Amino acid sequence: MTKFLAPLYALLLAGLLALGSAQAQSTLTIGTVAEASDLDPRITYDVYSYQRMYAIMEPLLIFDTDLSYQPRLATSWEFAEDGRSITFQLREGVEFHHGRPFTAEDVKYTFDWMLNPDNPAANPALYEDITNVEILDDTTVRFDLTGDNAFILNSIARLHIVPADLGENEDFGSAPVGTGPFVFESWARDDRMVLTANPDYWGGAPKVDRVEFRPIIEDTTRLIALESGEIDLYYGQPVRSELDNLEANDAIDVQRVDGLGHQYVAFNTEHPELGDARVRQAISHLIPREGIVERILEGVGSVGTGPIAPSSVYFEPEAETYPYDPERAAELLEEAGVDQLSVRLHTNENPVRPLMAEILQFEAQQIGVEIEIIVEEFGAFIDRLLDSTDYDLFLIGWSGNVDPNYAMYELFHSTGGSNFTAYGNPELDALLDEGRRLPPGSEESIATYKEAQRVLMDDAPFAFINHSEEVALSRASVEGWEAHPYSSATFANLHLVEITD
Amino acid sequence: MGITGYVLKRLISLAITLLGVSVIVFLLVHLSPGDPIRIMLGEQARPEDVQRLTELYGFDEPLPVQYVRWMAAAVQGDLGDSIRSGTPVIELVAQRLPATIELAVVALILAVVIGIPLGVLAAVTRNSPIDLASMGLALVGVAAPNFWIGLILLSTVASNVGWIPAFGRGPGVVEAFGAGLTEFRWGPLLDAGRHLLLPSLAIGTSIMAIITRMTRSSLLEVLGLDYVRTARAKGVRRAVVTVRHALRNAILPVVTVVGLQFGFLLGGAIVTETVFAWPGIGRLIVDSIAQRDFPVVQGSILMLAVVFVFVNLLVDLSYGLINPRIRYD
Repeated sequence: MTKFLAPLYALLLAGLLALGSAQAQSTLTIGTVAEASDLDPRITYDVYSYQRMYAIMEPLLIFDTDLSYQPRLATSWEFAEDGRSITFQLREGVEFHHGRPFTAEDVKYTFDWMLNPDNPAANPALYEDITNVEILDDTTVRFDLTGDNAFILNSIARLHIVPADLGENEDFGSAPVGTGPFVFESWARDDRMVLTANPDYWGGAPKVDRVEFRPIIEDTTRLIALESGEIDLYYGQPVRSELDNLEANDAIDVQRVDGLGHQYVAFNTEHPELGDARVRQAISHLIPREGIVERILEGVGSVGTGPIAPSSVYFEPEAETYPYDPERAAELLEEAGVDQLSVRLHTNENPVRPLMAEILQFEAQQIGVEIEIIVEEFGAFIDRLLDSTDYDLFLIGWSGNVDPNYAMYELFHSTGGSNFTAYGNPELDALLDEGRRLPPGSEESIATYKEAQRVLMDDAPFAFINHSEEVALSRASVEGWEAHPYSSATFANLHLVEITD
Repeated sequence: MGITGYVLKRLISLAITLLGVSVIVFLLVHLSPGDPIRIMLGEQARPEDVQRLTELYGFDEPLPVQYVRWMAAAVQGDLGDSIRSGTPVIELVAQRLPATIELAVVALILAVVIGIPLGVLAAVTRNSPIDLASMGLALVGVAAPNFWIGLILLSTVASNVGWIPAFGRGPGVVEAFGAGLTEFRWGPLLDAGRHLLLPSLAIGTSIMAIITRMTRSSLLEVLGLDYVRTARAKGVRRAVVTVRHALRNAILPVVTVVGLQFGFLLGGAIVTETVFAWPGIGRLIVDSIAQRDFPVVQGSILMLAVVFVFVNLLVDLSYGLINPRIRYD
């Protein structure tokens, strides 16, 4: 009997030893809701890829948690008087992970690549206001601008700098090199991405030896992994019904900050009835926003008021918000001379959106408006919006609103690239164009965007449902991680995070 | 016709099956709405960029031309490159298929090891409480969806038992076993095993239930046959008759089920792979569909089909080993 058991015990012992030795290094394990698609910042645009890139690479500057600028590879910057150029002073003594010093060449290379129409750059519209990138010396770069987009700095803050000597490598997106606090080590897709600390990081050596990103799609699994300590940080929608338990759990820290996105019902304004603002206003009055936030979103998020979050200086509290009021809705329909209306509402499989649509459907039915809900897979849904006008209402979201230009121009300007409502108002166009020329944060700029929100909300091409909220979960043993309203930059300060006992 | 002729005949029909699969997969992928280039370039893509890349990847050409080009390369072992990552599809499949096969094999072994004895037990104790209990268990196993069993296992076992992980794959079983045999390091195998436990139970349960029921009914049938009674009359002990004489004949339909189920395990593990964050081919396919990464979707499904039909062939060939009276013609 002992003979039989001995190898078993040896096996167990070996296993324990193996587990023990793995813990000698400090590893920060991050469970996220999705895998990255690619780590080349030039051709990628999804949040999950960007989150990982922030640990490896750096832009010239980034958004801080209060959305002010935080210098990274640039130490300072200055706009020319006429707003037609911006000059960056670059950080000295910074090295890429492969040992070569970072210089102005790399900045020029990265932006030139984005501006070259032969390259498949993601979201090139963000950079089309840059006309030329000029190297003044090794640590000074001037960007020449059309002057048509005062918010260009925010676009620049989104793009990580790629080393000029490695940027043409075919595998750059799967084995990136940057200047950031962590060095890329390995990536087994859908399993784990491993980064190791860069002891020479200019901002100070990271406080953990390794970082592992583990994609765990299923929210429940990710939460159990956090509760059992298999992961240290949790990113992705929390299991909303579990939030109260989590907040009461001493082993888990819950951080909540207002996000930069929102969800809305949009109207195809070319539809015969929906072209009338009164009909759109009526439908907006039918959305019980408090109830939706409370019951469907379980309190994560806040009542939708417009395209700009109430926490922003640009927010206009005087703009019309269309609170839930079925009687007013019926009146508006009568004023518009609509006594019978039957429309379709398209949305995608996101778990909360069909529920929101059903509530609107029920409310509309009460005043005689029929809404047919069609739930599509995301790719098919986006294709419908991009390639056709075959829709009446659609329910979707918009995120990453770091400035009012980003929040409004593409969606509501008559030439906006994501304006799927066919909405256009010359007055609003003029305000949005004006806003792009005024210095961000200035009194005139704020006043212009407040005016724009009033015009927009009167026309009601969108019925806003909710503002988003970012929820960050971590083990209590993790210190130094701060929830970020701009979800792409959630892991921008990973070198400050440490694991205590 | 001997076994060689039979295999040859099967291989030809197998090639035709795969050709059919390739056409269906290709059409499903290309006719469903959603444009890979649009998804790749993002919401603010310029139409001229979309146009240029569409031409670059050849998506503007007529579908028959695209299909023939894909198949011509595929028969030479080239399934194309991923649109997303540029990695050859064959490489992506080679990374993922072992994880899925490993999960399927372990689940199947668990199902057989538990299912057959349970079925035998139920058959010999027919209509007893033991029989009723095993059949009740089997009923639940067949009825409950894999992912639900997975979630139940997660919330009951993984969240309470520290050494059982909630997600992810450990080292590959084959490599881990190698390390154990050559270097006497059994840690990796232990690690692989604890990661495999819950997902393999989750996907193995329904097959275990099917095997239990098949074994029971098939064995009951055989136990009623004359030769069994004769053997008993000759004084052979009941246990020996049941296992050596009856089970051997009763097992044939069970083997068929096991073989077929292996194929379903490969494809059906997709949801379970998601629940347990298992980096198998199911998740590769789901992610690729979301991104409309046509070459990856086509290539992975085709490779799954290849594995499926070959497993079926092996099952058919194994009948001869179990029951030598079976002839191939």
